[in-house]
Amino acid sequence: MAAHQPIPGARFVDPAVLARIGNLEMVAKTVVDGLINGTHRSPFFGASVDFAEHRGYVAGDDIRRMDWRVFARTDKYYIKEFEADSNANFSVLLDISKSMSFGERISKLDYAKTLAACLTYLANQQRDRVGLVTFDDGVVEHVPPSAKHLDVILHTLDRARAEKPGHLLAPLQRLAEHFGRRGIIVVISDFYADPDEIFEAVGPLRFRGNDVILFHVLDPQEIDFSFSEPSSFEDLESGDQIPIVPAALADQYRALVAAHIEALTTRSSQQRIDYMLLNTSQPLDFALFRFLSMRERLARTR
Amino acid sequence: MSFLTPLFLLGLAALAIPVLVHLTQRERKSVIAFPSLMFLKKIPYESVQKRRIRDWLLLALRLAALALIVSAFARPFLRGSDVAAAAGGARDIVVLLDRSYSMGYGDSWSRAQRVAGEALASATAADRISLVLFADHAEVALRSTPDRSRAVSEINAASPGPGSTKYGPALKLAGSLLAESMLPRKEVIVVSDFQRGGWQPDDTLRLPGGTVITTAVVEGASGPNLALTPATLLRTRDAGQPERVTVTAGVLNRTATAATAIPVQLEMDGRIVQTLSVNVEGGASATATFAPVSIAATTTRATVRLGTDAAAGVAVQTGMAPAASAIDALARDNVFNFVITPTAPVPVTVVTQGNRADANLYLSRALEIGEAPRFDTSWQSIDALTGDATNRTRLLILNDVAVPEAAAARLVTFVEGGGGLLIALGPRASWPSAREGWLPAVVGPAVDRTRGAAAKLSGMDYGHAVFEPFRAARSGDFSTARFYSYRGLTPATGATVLARFDTGEPALVEKTAGLGRIVMFASTIDLSWNDLALKPVFLPFVHQLGRHLSGFREQAAFLTIGEVLDITAAEIAAGATSSAARTGGGRTVLTPSGQRRDLSVTTAASGATSPTAALELGEQGFYEVRGAGREPGPVIVAAANVNLAESNLDRMDPKELVAGVTGNGTSGSTGTQDVLPDAAQELAQRVWWYLLFAGILLLIAETVLAQRLSRAAR
Repeated sequence: MAAHQPIPGARFVDPAVLARIGNLEMVAKTVVDGLINGTHRSPFFGASVDFAEHRGYVAGDDIRRMDWRVFARTDKYYIKEFEADSNANFSVLLDISKSMSFGERISKLDYAKTLAACLTYLANQQRDRVGLVTFDDGVVEHVPPSAKHLDVILHTLDRARAEKPGHLLAPLQRLAEHFGRRGIIVVISDFYADPDEIFEAVGPLRFRGNDVILFHVLDPQEIDFSFSEPSSFEDLESGDQIPIVPAALADQYRALVAAHIEALTTRSSQQRIDYMLLNTSQPLDFALFRFLSMRERLARTR
Repeated sequence: MSFLTPLFLLGLAALAIPVLVHLTQRERKSVIAFPSLMFLKKIPYESVQKRRIRDWLLLALRLAALALIVSAFARPFLRGSDVAAAAGGARDIVVLLDRSYSMGYGDSWSRAQRVAGEALASATAADRISLVLFADHAEVALRSTPDRSRAVSEINAASPGPGSTKYGPALKLAGSLLAESMLPRKEVIVVSDFQRGGWQPDDTLRLPGGTVITTAVVEGASGPNLALTPATLLRTRDAGQPERVTVTAGVLNRTATAATAIPVQLEMDGRIVQTLSVNVEGGASATATFAPVSIAATTTRATVRLGTDAAAGVAVQTGMAPAASAIDALARDNVFNFVITPTAPVPVTVVTQGNRADANLYLSRALEIGEAPRFDTSWQSIDALTGDATNRTRLLILNDVAVPEAAAARLVTFVEGGGGLLIALGPRASWPSAREGWLPAVVGPAVDRTRGAAAKLSGMDYGHAVFEPFRAARSGDFSTARFYSYRGLTPATGATVLARFDTGEPALVEKTAGLGRIVMFASTIDLSWNDLALKPVFLPFVHQLGRHLSGFREQAAFLTIGEVLDITAAEIAAGATSSAARTGGGRTVLTPSGQRRDLSVTTAASGATSPTAALELGEQGFYEVRGAGREPGPVIVAAANVNLAESNLDRMDPKELVAGVTGNGTSGSTGTQDVLPDAAQELAQRVWWYLLFAGILLLIAETVLAQRLSRAAR
């Protein structure tokens, strides 16, 4: 088995998952400036094979980009503009707070690690610079984006442990200052915070031009609240306990969770942030496929 | 608080099941680690504790209802000692006021009334007062009233009666009254002269626990106390002279002071016949024997009286002691009433056949002898036996007579109407085969014992009235009689074999038919088949048979108050035929106080066929019973006297009575000892009923509340 896992953390890269999503393009929502031609569209027009638009010639334009065929038909000078493909900074912000250790069949943290590895690997295959930040109530580990950091990222993911209470605002605000170059930022968390606080945390990332994607990872029991026996429920992070009769409040709990998700969905849409709820009972490849399909569809309609 | 059936309390354990389940659940309560309680904390309510608290009311109602019902089945009650333990509180007072005739000694009664009234002076409005008047019997004059003035007026309205003191019934009645009481304090006040004769220690006599007994001794005036003892009557009959009776009266001096020249007068039918004077030493007795007087043809009312009678007119008629004849302070025992009745012969008819009258020689001679009763024997041929003839007699004797069908029918009618029939079987005796089932036994062929040893009588039923006088040793030997022949008898169903031969065969069989009796003797009552008539036991044997079959019972010349007069027996003794005495209609009783009341005939216990009329004597004097209807029968006069024991005024120490009731010494309180059985206390209190009612009410309330909560929850 070790022969098939040449690098630590490679176990998170499920070949079946990659086979399912390998024929899809990782499409950025907005064009990220980059230096390397790739599959990502650059926010800048430039040398590319993909025609973007014509515009009138103004003094100073490179006459090599003049569309002579149009000139022949219209006797006016038009410049052909192409969308420039570039490599992008692809950073995963992984929440490793204590609450992420919850999970019946698979913990949310393991699921999130797998998801982060898949996305990182995929991005790396597309020549993007990949980076990773793990955080709880502060930044735990930071792997700066680089085309050569896949191994480091996978090692870092492998080491990540959910041990401390988490807090979104402080680490993300600190990271927002750090991401000076626009790129794709994936935040993987269970988002146990008030929506205002969540978007106060991720807002600065988006305002700096990053394409922010929120992966909301929840265990089925967190969604369905399928407990039956009256028990004491202990908060994994604070240690608080309260006795609960699940049958009596399951409906209200589910309603609150649904309202929370709805709030996150709505607010994400308002701030042009991609949001996706991931149920750890659902196959990961299915979630990735669905996400990438959505991103591609959104890019085409733009 | 005690329980009559405490095992039912095990049902209370069921109440603990929900609690135990809950506690068990709490013990193994699992802790579920959950990512965040952010949402759960936002939900109002919803903790296990809060949910439990909300249901506590319903749970408490249900548990309380079940607990009450279970407790009701356990039959709780408060022991008297528990109740008494509570200090203070309302009292339930039972005043036992002695109204025996000894309380009429001097001013004892007025003192008793005053003492009883004073004893109630401390009663408050919260107290309940009961008044029990007692002598031989105890009766509740006033039951559990808070009105003290009413109780005092009842006491003032009461008067001493002719009864004698008996504390037992009064204390039992007080116990039952107090057992029903729910008040915390119980008290019995005994107002009496505490005569020793009225107290018989009784282990079963107990008052409810905690009951306080207060005794109030009433002491009358001191002075002479004379009493008349029962008179003895000696009847004499000289040839050609009417029957005469000699009356001897006894005078008892209850005090240590000698009494001299005490006049003793004999009154008959309201007239003073003789007056004697006696001297009686202190603590001794003397007798006064009056000259013989002739007995009238009817019942004579006689009275022996101490002292001269100034108001004889009314007093003698009623037999009451006139107030004027105050030889001492206790008047009721200075009068002794009795009746003198002419001896009424019992009519007996010996049924003969043909010219064999000489065969009944021994029988007729035996019947002619004797005074108690005297048999008036007549002779009647079986062929001439008519209804009139049977109506005039109480006993028919058939000695070796062949009975034809017509005579058999009359005999059946006679016996079933209350007559007696003696059938002696000889070689000629026969009975219509169609009526054989009516007889005590089926008559078989003659058994010849002339060869070899003759048969003897053995196996007598000495418990039967006929043989009872012969029970003691040397009281008559039947085994000396030789029976050379007898008829075989097969007893019928319901018949009783009174005697057997030494072979085991029945010799004397009795059966009841209708209101009368039949006795069959397996041999003759002459010398033809046996020599019984030559034996000394023959005479008393025939007399016992005659007394038993004729229903004769000697009537006492006097009775004591509290005794019962058997009117039916008295009528027979007075000469009435059996059928007239037993089938007569109602009777009217005239009491000594002049009250008239009708007396209906009561049927005796089931199985018995003879209705009896009985009268309990409750007044001092003469009772008169007259029959009603077509055959009124004789007038019965019965004399009732006070109990002589009551005239003995010797007192007992009241502590003795208190100790006998409380069982714990001389204390006036029954203390912590429960003196009534638990079942009796529980029955009297009936707490279970209230608990059950409360439990049902709680269940109803729980149902209503649960419905409202359910609607509110929706």
